Amino acid sequence: MSTGAKKRIMKEYGECLADTPTGMKINFDEQNMTKWEVLLDGPEQSVYAGGHFKLEINFPNEYPFKPPVVSFKTKIYHPNVSNDDKGSMCLGLLRPDQWKPPNKVVTVLSLIQSLLIEPNIDDAIEPSIANEYKENRKEFEKNVKDWVKRYAK
Amino acid sequence: MAADSAYVLPDDELAQLQKLSGDYQPEITGPLVGERQSSAAITAEYANADPVYRTKTAALPDKYAYFRTCRGDGQCGWRAIAFTYYEALLREANVAKFDTEEARLMSMANLFNMAGLPTEMIMDFAEDVFGLMQKLAQTLRNGEGNADDVLLQTFNDEAESMSIITFFKFLASAWIQTHPNDFAGFVHGDLKSYCGNNIEPTASEIDYVAVAALAAALIKPTGFGLEIMYLDRSAGEEANVTPFVQTTEQSGLWQPTIRLLYRPGHYDILYKAEDFPVPVQPVPEQAPLHVALANPYNDTFIAAPSNVDLMAMMPGLYSTGLGQRWPSVSYDFDATPAPQPMQSYPPAPEAIAPVTSSHQEFVPVHASPAVQHAPANHHSIQLEAPPINLTMQQPASTTLERAALSLERPGPFRPSMYELEHMHALPLQTSIMKNSHYNTAHFLNPDFQPEAWSPEHGSGSKGKHRSTS
Repeated sequence: MSTGAKKRIMKEYGECLADTPTGMKINFDEQNMTKWEVLLDGPEQSVYAGGHFKLEINFPNEYPFKPPVVSFKTKIYHPNVSNDDKGSMCLGLLRPDQWKPPNKVVTVLSLIQSLLIEPNIDDAIEPSIANEYKENRKEFEKNVKDWVKRYAK
Repeated sequence: MAADSAYVLPDDELAQLQKLSGDYQPEITGPLVGERQSSAAITAEYANADPVYRTKTAALPDKYAYFRTCRGDGQCGWRAIAFTYYEALLREANVAKFDTEEARLMSMANLFNMAGLPTEMIMDFAEDVFGLMQKLAQTLRNGEGNADDVLLQTFNDEAESMSIITFFKFLASAWIQTHPNDFAGFVHGDLKSYCGNNIEPTASEIDYVAVAALAAALIKPTGFGLEIMYLDRSAGEEANVTPFVQTTEQSGLWQPTIRLLYRPGHYDILYKAEDFPVPVQPVPEQAPLHVALANPYNDTFIAAPSNVDLMAMMPGLYSTGLGQRWPSVSYDFDATPAPQPMQSYPPAPEAIAPVTSSHQEFVPVHASPAVQHAPANHHSIQLEAPPINLTMQQPASTTLERAALSLERPGPFRPSMYELEHMHALPLQTSIMKNSHYNTAHFLNPDFQPEAWSPEHGSGSKGKHRSTS
């Protein structure tokens, strides 16, 4: 990893420390700074309220010229998070063809928070959950709460 | 319709294929920016291509003696402009200009603010832009003479080169968004989303709009020129040149022109011969030769180019009985009877138009001060060429009947390894008769018949990779 990449990651971590967005906690290991662990609270106004979700951010060696990879380590019932043990996310911002080097991780995290409040149905990674969100919102909310209780307490 | 439906893939399978094709990364090889090399390599690359390309590339080395490859990784156009911008600063060799350029680019922060871009993050990338400027200016000041290497090395460092490219991408974006009158007509939709989708992402390749923006924002204020040569299948004998920016004289100083070669989907860098004036360098002393020729003359031999005629000292070397001086130039071991067409440019500030008689070939040589190259008239050369006078500095100047030597090698020795290190300067080497345009495999031969590639020779020069970026 280039010195530029390390400097950039340190700088972003410094900014996160100085001004941590609400509902987030970042665990940073200086020995392994390319892997961040983030604890994200389900936003109050969302169906995920009360849940605590563990996320992992992996910075590639080419960072910031390649996007970081964000995944949910806690299972979550959400149209934009893959329903498997990877918990990968499909965010436009993070797609290799759309990634811009000045983008910051904290922007990505805020975007994830807003996705918990309102999923992006047009860009869903789990079409069946997206469908349920559109057509049977009650069932969707019931499933979300069920999963929060089972995995995210 | 029922018959058709067999060929329609289900959506998820289509999506899967789409994903595969979207994720496909061609194998990318070669340096990010290559060494400067003879553009005859391009001619050779297209030797088996269709006639339009053959004609156009055959005409290329006459006008553009050198080129430099950029890796086809999607950044080639950006990288080519960024690299040549720095290189033009080096070619102008005005140390003070590095400082003015740094100050000028620094002031572009306003432009980022005006365009609503994340100025602070962008100026992080500017640090690498300015860092390289300072490094190059320092190298020039110290007179270390390796500024070109520093530049090439930096651009071959992926992270540093990407930083510089990223800054230039956002410079282009900011320029477009703050000059709507110049660009709105060329862009679909609003400028902000156009730049956000087509210019700012790392994966965005340079497009015409971005080239125009960089020409205006980066190149024009420096006084440098920018030309792009388009090599494509369009009609014509030569590739079309689009001058984006004309050079403007700055305080009476000559300004370099940046030249790019565009092939559909890919940019490389081009140079004219006069872009690199050949400095007249002292001929390296031929110490290796001295060692090899252990003979009674050793004791009195002083290795200096002007007073040695070793070959003549050795009895029986030449059937002609003429004492031939071996000029210490790189092309010496070629078996052709004809004098090599060559021209070395003086380090004069003015660009000299490539000259008169057609088929001039620009060979970079370390011209020996002892040898005057008579301007060769290639059209009249027969096997019985008129004797060429090589004027020597020694009082006893020798007249050399080269025609008499024409049917044998000029000397009994194999070319030594010490001469081989100069060979890379030759523009085209074919296996049969080396660099002669009497060889039909030479691109200057009227009956030009390119050599076919054969597997024993490997895949050819490293610059030959074709890439789409």
